[in-house]
Amino acid sequence: MVPLENYLALSAIVFSLGVYGVLARRNAVLILMSVELMLNAVSMNFIAFAAYLDPTRVTGAIFAVFVITVAAAEVGLALAIVIRLYRNRQTSNVDEAATLKW
Amino acid sequence: MITEQAWLLAAVPAGMFVVLAIFGRFLPRQGDYLGVAAIGTSFVLMLIVAANFLQHRGGVGPWRNDFEWSNVGDFRLRMGIFIDPITIVMFGVVTTVSLMVNIFSIGYMKGEPRYYWFFAVLQLFAASMLMLVMADNLLLLYISWELVGVCSFLLIGFYWEKRSATEAAKKAFITTRIGDVGLLIGIILLWREAGTFNIEKIIEFAQNGGYSQAYLFVAMFSIFLGAMGKSAQVPFHVWLPDAMEGPTPVSALIHAATMVVAGVYLVARLTPLFEVADGMMLVIVIVGLTTALLSGFMALAQTDIKKVLAYSTVGQLGFMFVALGAGEPQIAMFHLMTHAFLKSLLFLGSGSVIHATHHNQELDKLGGLWKKMPITGTTFLIGSLALAGLPPLDAFWSKDEIFVGLADAWGAWAVIILGLAAVTTAFYATRLFIRTFMGKPLDDHVYEHTHESGFAMTFPLIVLAALAVVSGLVIFNGVGQALGFPGGITEFIYLPEEGPARYAIDWGFATASLGMAVVGIFSGAWLYWRGSLEKSTALARFQPGVYDMLRNKFYFDEMYQYAVDRVVLGLSFVVSWFDRYVVNDTGVDGSAQVTGYTGFILKYLQTGKVPNYAMAIALGVVGLAVAGLVVRG
Repeated sequence: MVPLENYLALSAIVFSLGVYGVLARRNAVLILMSVELMLNAVSMNFIAFAAYLDPTRVTGAIFAVFVITVAAAEVGLALAIVIRLYRNRQTSNVDEAATLKW
Repeated sequence: MITEQAWLLAAVPAGMFVVLAIFGRFLPRQGDYLGVAAIGTSFVLMLIVAANFLQHRGGVGPWRNDFEWSNVGDFRLRMGIFIDPITIVMFGVVTTVSLMVNIFSIGYMKGEPRYYWFFAVLQLFAASMLMLVMADNLLLLYISWELVGVCSFLLIGFYWEKRSATEAAKKAFITTRIGDVGLLIGIILLWREAGTFNIEKIIEFAQNGGYSQAYLFVAMFSIFLGAMGKSAQVPFHVWLPDAMEGPTPVSALIHAATMVVAGVYLVARLTPLFEVADGMMLVIVIVGLTTALLSGFMALAQTDIKKVLAYSTVGQLGFMFVALGAGEPQIAMFHLMTHAFLKSLLFLGSGSVIHATHHNQELDKLGGLWKKMPITGTTFLIGSLALAGLPPLDAFWSKDEIFVGLADAWGAWAVIILGLAAVTTAFYATRLFIRTFMGKPLDDHVYEHTHESGFAMTFPLIVLAALAVVSGLVIFNGVGQALGFPGGITEFIYLPEEGPARYAIDWGFATASLGMAVVGIFSGAWLYWRGSLEKSTALARFQPGVYDMLRNKFYFDEMYQYAVDRVVLGLSFVVSWFDRYVVNDTGVDGSAQVTGYTGFILKYLQTGKVPNYAMAIALGVVGLAVAGLVVRG
C-alpha cells in the first residue's frame, strides 16, 4: 500500500502549483484553471485521509463530491464573468480590469 | 373623617381644569359656570372641613393622611396632607378669594378671547395653592410651589399678543425661579441630613440638634430665598409690579390668595426651623423692614392704579415678614388673611374702574368717579381705609399686633422703621382713592362713558368689603368663640412651644397705630384734596431728584439691566467662544477632518488589480500559518 505521506506530498505540490498559477498568471482563464488545481489538491487530501483513517466511513469521499460540485458551479459563474469582461473590454487580462479603485 | 379627605379641596378644581381646558370652548358660555361651581365646591368643602376640624380639635392635634408614593431600596417617599390651624386659615382665604375672583371674572372677562382658558387656569391656580398649604412634606410643597408659578406665568401672560405681557410673564417666572433654585437647594440640604422630606419630622430632627448651626443656617437661608422670590421681597420684588400686565382679576388672585402669600406661608410653616437657625430671624426682619419701607416710598409716585396697589402688596408682604421675623407666625397669618380680603377688594375695585372706563388705568385720566360708580366707590373707600389701618377695619388689628410683636422681639429701632412704612401706606391709600373717585374728572371723554359695573362684579366687591370690615374682629376671644373657634386667632394658631395666647388690646400701641394712620390719611388728603394736583406737583418741582427716584422705583430695574448686561453678556461671550472654537471647530469639525484625511491617505492601498489582492490573501494565509506554528511552539 502506498503510504499516506506520498499522497500528501503530491497534494502539496499540486496546491503550490495552483497558488503560483493564481499569483503569476494574468489571463483570467488560466487563473481559473489554477484555482481548479488548488481545489483538486484539497479533494485529494480528503480522499487520502478518508481511506487511511477509517476505510469503512466515507465522510471524506462525500466532501470530495461536494468540492467537485462547488467547483463546477464556480467555473460556470466565473466563465460567465470572463465572457462579460471580454465582451466589454476585448481582453481577458485581469490587470486591465482595474477600475475598482480610487 | 372628612378632615382627612381635605385633598378633595384641591382635587375638584384640578379636575375642572382638565375638563375646561379640553372641552371648555365647546360648552355654552365656554363653561364659566363650571369654574365657579368647582371653586364653589371647594369653598363648601372648606367650610365642612373647618367645622369638622374645630369639632374634633380637643387634644387631637394636626390631622394627617398619607400614602407611600415610591419606594427605592430602603428609602420610602410618602406623600400626604397635613391639616393644622395655619392650613385651615389658608383654606379659608384661598377658597373665599378664589370664589370671589371667579364670580368677578364672569363680568370682567366677558367677550375676551380664550375665555374658557382663563377659567381653566384659575382652577389650576386655586388647586395648586390649596395643595401647597396642605402638603405634609417639602417635596409635594415644592411641586405645588412650581405649579403656582406656572399658573401665574400663564395668567400674567394671558394677553400674549401684547409684547409687554409676555415680557412681564417671563420676568415673573424667571425672577421667582431664581428664588426657587434656593428653595430646592434648601430642601435637598434639609433632606440630606434628616433623610426625610416630612416637615414635622424635619422640625423634630432640627430641634433635637440634628443639624449643625452653620449647616442649618445655609439651608434655611436658601429656603428663605425661595420665599423672598415668591413673596416679592426686595430685591426680588421687581416682577410683581410688572405682573399687572395680566387681567385684573388675576392680579387680585395673585396678590391676595395665591402666589405671593405662598412665601409667607412657607416661612410660617417652617418657623420652628428658622428659630433654631441662629441669625435667620434677623435676616427675615431686615428683609421685611427694607421691603415695607422701600415699597411704601415707591408707591408714592406711581400713576397707574394697579401699580400703586402692586407696591402696596409688596409692602404689606414686608409687614408679614416682619411679623415672621419677630417669631409671631400667627400674627403673620392673621395679617395675611386681613390683607387678602382688603387687597382682593381693592384690586377687584380697580378692575371695576378699569372695566368701566374702557381699560384706562392711568390716574391722570381718572377722578370724580364717585358719582358714576357709587358701589365701587364705597367699597374702594372701605378697602383704602382698611389698608391705611383705620379701626375697626381689619388691617388695623393685624398691623397693631405686628407692632406689639416687633417691639417685644427687636425693640424700638424696628418699630420706628415700620411705623414710617405704615404712614406711607396710609398716605398712598388716601392718594389713590382721592385721585380716582374725588374731585373733578381729569379727562371728560373717559368720564362720560363711565358707568357702574354689573352685578357679577359688584357682588364680590360687596362681599369682600363686608369681610374687610369684620374679619379683623376675629382677634377678639368673644368673636372667635361665637364662630366656634377656641378663642381669638392667636388662640387658634400658635407655636407648640409658646402655647395659645389670649388677646388683650395694648392701648399704647393701638393709639400710636391709629396716629400713624391718621397722619398718613390727613397728609394725603391735604395734598390731594378734591383731586387737586397743585400742592403735589409743587412738591415734585421742589424736590425733582427725590421725585424722579421714587418715580423710577429706586432704579431697581436699571440695576438689574446693568447687571444682566455685564454679567450675563460677559458670561455668554465666554460660552460662545468655547462653543465656536472648542466644541465646533475642534470637536465636531475636527473629528470629521481627521477621519477624512486618514481616508485620503489609506485610499492608495486600493490598486484595483486582482493579483495584488490575491497576493495579499496568500501572504496573509502564510503569515497566519507561520504565526500559528510559532505560538504552538
